[in-house]
Amino acid sequence: MKRFIQHEELARDSRFIRQTNAVATVLASLPDDVDKVVAVFEQLDPMIAQSVIGTAAEALYDEYGPAFGLITLNEPLDPNQTETLGARMRLVLRMHGIFAGELQALEGAGRSLWDFPDAPWEFKMNMARQCWDEARHVQIFEKLLHHVGGEIGMFPEATFLFECACADDPAQRVAGVNRALEGLACDVFRDMIKFATETQDDLMRQSIDYVLADELTHVRFGSEWVKEFTKDDPERFKAARDFQREVDKQFSFGGARSAREDAAIPIAWDDRLEAGFTEEELNELSEVSGGGPSRQTLRKAAEILGERHRAKTGRVAEVAQ
Amino acid sequence: MSEGKSEGKSQVTAKGRMYPGMSQDERTVFEPYSAFDIPADLRTLHGRYDVVSTALRVRNFRYAEEWMMMMMGGWLATIPELPAKTGLAKVVWETAQAADILGKRLPELRCGRKAATASESANKGFADFIEAVSEPESPDLTIEKLTGIFDVLKPHLIQVYEKTGRETDQICDAPTIELLEDIVRKARRHVSWGKEVLDRLCDTDAKRQRRQQRSSQLRAQLEVCGGVTGELTTASA
Ligand SMILES: [Fe+2]
Ligand SMILES: [Fe+2]
Repeated sequence: MKRFIQHEELARDSRFIRQTNAVATVLASLPDDVDKVVAVFEQLDPMIAQSVIGTAAEALYDEYGPAFGLITLNEPLDPNQTETLGARMRLVLRMHGIFAGELQALEGAGRSLWDFPDAPWEFKMNMARQCWDEARHVQIFEKLLHHVGGEIGMFPEATFLFECACADDPAQRVAGVNRALEGLACDVFRDMIKFATETQDDLMRQSIDYVLADELTHVRFGSEWVKEFTKDDPERFKAARDFQREVDKQFSFGGARSAREDAAIPIAWDDRLEAGFTEEELNELSEVSGGGPSRQTLRKAAEILGERHRAKTGRVAEVAQ
Repeated sequence: MSEGKSEGKSQVTAKGRMYPGMSQDERTVFEPYSAFDIPADLRTLHGRYDVVSTALRVRNFRYAEEWMMMMMGGWLATIPELPAKTGLAKVVWETAQAADILGKRLPELRCGRKAATASESANKGFADFIEAVSEPESPDLTIEKLTGIFDVLKPHLIQVYEKTGRETDQICDAPTIELLEDIVRKARRHVSWGKEVLDRLCDTDAKRQRRQQRSSQLRAQLEVCGGVTGELTTASA
């Protein structure tokens, strides 16, 4: 078995379909300019249209056009908003995305065992433990996906997470996976717990609370191993930090996950502190993640794109978002 | 109670002497009675392996567990069947724990404090065998991947661990016996899970044939190299 695989090589059963990571890459660097955002989405339109065929996202595309992701994933979960298709699908889409993320986290941890055979034993123990944890997370989110009315494969899967975070250098791998992505998981899960509490969904609240506890542990693995792998090597340390910052930026979804007031997913400050991030790092993360377009910009762009799409297809708009 | 002791005297009561004195007639009144008497300890001293050879076996075992854990970790990404992926991840963790406790035994066997992460293949043949087990890569080879581990390697290890447990000094080397028993208990669970998955995956004659072929190939290779400790003979297998 070779070492270092590409994200295209992640094995899936027949329920899954892939989404090109190009869309996610572009979304990560959108400017705060309505016209430019519109232009980017119009350019991506054929690719997005192709990727939703035969999935539950097709209905979202029909309704909102190529920017349906802005109406679903970039908006906060709101228990009081259920009247539109976008609001109804938001939770299922997010749950499906988390499920896929857990799957890739499992595969990433497993590959760290095979890709770095000479790594210290304690590192292997941590990664082996993480394999089991992520496998349980896959099982948990499969059940939660059913719980909210979804099913595996109903949306296309982007393997962006594996692609971005699985660097060939172990220091960068743990910086990307265990600090940037596990940190993101802390933000997402804290937000989900808040939503579950508001909707009095104790099944969801309790299970994600346990998952969050595991993720904190994984961040700690990352913090320790970045330090260990880069000790006495400031250049390698800097490269790992830069890599982490890059992944943090890509996974801020243009500010949707940030410390900004209009963020759909706020930074889980306290959880991250407990996991070993420093205040300084969190301030830096706020800066890196908050740079994308404002929610107002994205809403306006989504509105224009929706109108143009409906004009093209002759569909009538929904009441409101 | 502590009074007599603190005075340094052997307390003599109406019932007799509580602590031995210096002369023959100053023995205590207690009948010889030891934990070994009830139940009778039928274990005898001396086993097949001395400290050095037990330490070598432990390093051999650890080599197998460590590599098994790493290759299964690598396969998590290339196995498409979801329950096989998630189930295998738990086996990864428990196999890592097996390697870990084997390693922790090494410093206790006079291998040095840093020996806890030492793994050693019995011979080149076993290292080649491990490489052969780890070879399948593509997502249509789940049967070949799982057969190597659950039909061949893990059952072989269970057999050798149990044999080692029976043959080593039952008292002197009891810590090795105990840890092997723990590993075997979980490994049996792994094997029955793996076989169940394989039974389910091999739902046609052609697939059953693939499983059969893979396992006889690997078994033959295992026998040639002598297994995890290099001393397997067809008769002892
Ligand atoms: Fe996870
Ligand atoms: Fe995690």
